[in-house]
Amino acid sequence: MRSVELHALGGLAPERARTLAARLSRRVGAPCRVAEAGAGPVALLPGRDQTDADALLAWLESQPVRDAVVLGVTAQDLAIPIFTFVFGRARSGGQAAVVSLARLDPAFYGLPADEELLVRRGVRELLHELGHLARLPHCDHPECLMRFAGSVEKADLRGAEFCDSCAERLPDWMRRGSP
Amino acid sequence: MKAPLRILVVDDEAIVRDSLGGWFRQDGHSVDTADSAREALRRCEPGRYDIALLDIKMAGMDGLELQSRLLAADPALTIIMMTAYASVDTAVRAMKAGAYDYIVKPFDPDDLSILVKRAAEQRSLRAENQRLKQSLDTAAAPPPIVGASAAIRHVLDLVQTVSATEATVLVSGESGTGKELVARAIHAASPRRYGPLVVVNCGALPEGILESELFGHEAGAFTGARARHQGKFELADGGTIFLDEVGELSPKVQVELLRVLEDKAVTRLGARAPVKTDFRVVAATNRDLQERVKAGAFREDLYWRLNVFPLALPALRERSEDVRPLAEHFLTRFTASMSRKPIRLADEAAAALAAYHWPGNVRELQNAIERAVVVTRGDVLEASALPLAVTSGPSHPASGSLEEVERAHVEAMLRETGWNVSQAARVLAVDRATLYNKIRRWGLKRPVDA
Repeated sequence: MRSVELHALGGLAPERARTLAARLSRRVGAPCRVAEAGAGPVALLPGRDQTDADALLAWLESQPVRDAVVLGVTAQDLAIPIFTFVFGRARSGGQAAVVSLARLDPAFYGLPADEELLVRRGVRELLHELGHLARLPHCDHPECLMRFAGSVEKADLRGAEFCDSCAERLPDWMRRGSP
Repeated sequence: MKAPLRILVVDDEAIVRDSLGGWFRQDGHSVDTADSAREALRRCEPGRYDIALLDIKMAGMDGLELQSRLLAADPALTIIMMTAYASVDTAVRAMKAGAYDYIVKPFDPDDLSILVKRAAEQRSLRAENQRLKQSLDTAAAPPPIVGASAAIRHVLDLVQTVSATEATVLVSGESGTGKELVARAIHAASPRRYGPLVVVNCGALPEGILESELFGHEAGAFTGARARHQGKFELADGGTIFLDEVGELSPKVQVELLRVLEDKAVTRLGARAPVKTDFRVVAATNRDLQERVKAGAFREDLYWRLNVFPLALPALRERSEDVRPLAEHFLTRFTASMSRKPIRLADEAAAALAAYHWPGNVRELQNAIERAVVVTRGDVLEASALPLAVTSGPSHPASGSLEEVERAHVEAMLRETGWNVSQAARVLAVDRATLYNKIRRWGLKRPVDA
C-alpha cells in the first residue's frame, strides 16, 4: 500500500504542513504523514532570489523511504534556470515532487491573506504533481487538475478534480479518497 | 487531447535541454534535444519535426546560421529562437529571416506555453490553407477547353503564355465560341487564381446602371442610391475582371473605363476621392473593334489599352474536326448531370453535326446535345434527336459574307419563333442582350402581323 511522506521545507510552518497532509490524505484515501523536521538543502539560483526546484527535487528523491511517495512543500519561491518560476516540479513516473506555496498565497499578489484558499490551492498543486508521478501528462480538459497552469488565476480555473480520462489512469491508492 | 508535436530543442546548456525536454514531455509532446548546431543538422530532415527551439548563442555555429540551414533542409519547420536580454536585436533579425517568434530567457511558463500553442495553431492553419487551396484548384478549375485542332491548340498555347503575365487580354470571336471560358482559363492559370473573377456583361445593361455596376456609387449619388455600393472593379481587387461585350460600351463609359485602366483606381459615382484597386483585365468582344474604331464608335486609345494581348477564337466551323469530340464531351457531361446511363453518339448523328455550320458555335452545339439527351430514351443518340436546323440541309449557305449569313439566320429564327426574342435567343444560344444588339445593329423590324 502506498502512502505519502510530506516534508516541510523553506520555512513552511509545521501547522500548515499538518493541515496540508490531512487534507491530502482525505483526497487520496491513503496515509499522509509529515516527516520529522529536517534541514533540507538551501539552493538559491545564481543571481535570483529563488530556490532551485531541481536541487530540492534531487534532495527529496534521495530520501530513504519504502512504499511511499515523497512530497516537499516549501514557502520559498521556486524556479529553474530556464523558467521565471514554477509552482511545482516532478519527474514523470518518479518517486518525489516539490511544490511551492509562495505564488499560491494571495499575499504574494498584495491581497489579504486567506489561509483556506492557500491550503486549497496547495492541495490541488500537490495532486497535480502526484498526477505526474503517476505518469500523467498535461491534459487539455479545461477543468482537469492536470491542465497546465502558468498563473495562479489559471490554476484556480482548472478546478479541483481529475477529468474522467485522467482519473482512470491514476493508481488505485490515489483513488480511494473523497473530494 | 491535442495532437502531440514533434519538438527539437537545440541548446549547448544541458540544464536548458533537460528542463525544456521534460516540460514538453509533460505536455504530451515528443522531444529530441541537440547540444550543438551540428547535432541539430544531423537530426533534422524534412517533416521530422514540427517545431525547433534554437538558442541564439552557441559555440561553433550560432542560432541564426543554424536557422537558415534548418529552413533550407525543411522549409515547413517552425522555428522559435531562445535568447538572453542582450541579444533581442539578434532575435528580431532571426524573425525577419523566417523565425516564427523568439522568447527571452528565463521564460515565463505561461508565455512559453502560449507561444508553442500559437505556433502549433499556425502550423495547423498553414496545413489547412494548403489543403483548401488544393481543393479550390480542383473545385474552381474552369471547364476544359475541348478540341485537338491546330486552331484550338494555338489558342491553348496563347492562354498558357499570357496567364503567367499581368497583360490585359482582348478575346475576340463570334458569339458562342467560348470567350468567357477562355477568360476563366486565363484567370485560373494566373497567379491571381485565389482572388476573385468578376464577370461584367457590358452589353446587357443600360449606360447608367453599367456605370454604377462597374465603378460603384456612394449613398445619395442618385435617386434610389440608398447605400454605398462597391463597383465590380473594387470587387475584383486582387483578382481578374472580365469585361464581356466590351464593344457595346457607350462613349461616356468608354472614357470612364479608360481612366480606370490608366489610374488603376476607381471613383465611385458621387465620391470625391478615387479608391485604388488591383485588378487584371480580360475583355471580350464579338465585334470587329478595329472597324468600330474606324467608324468612330470606339475610342482608339481604349482599343489599344485593351488590345495588349489579342486572342482570337476560331468559329466552330473553322475547326470542324473538334465537333465530334466536343459533342461527346457534352454528351458525357449531360448524361452525368441528368443521372442517365451513358449514351453513345450514332455515326449518322455525328455526320449531321459535322455537316452543320454552327452559327451559334460551341454554345449552340452544347444546347443541341443537351436537348438531344433529354429526348433520347435509349443508349444511342440518333440524328433524329438533334434539332431540325442541324439535320435539315442545306447546311452551308452557298454565298454571302459571314455577317450576311448570320443576319439571315437570326432573321429566320426570329420568324420561326414569332419574334419571341427570349425563345429565339435560346435557339441561337446567345443571351437576350446579344440578340437585341444584333436586332438593333441590323435594323431588324418585327412584322406588323407577327
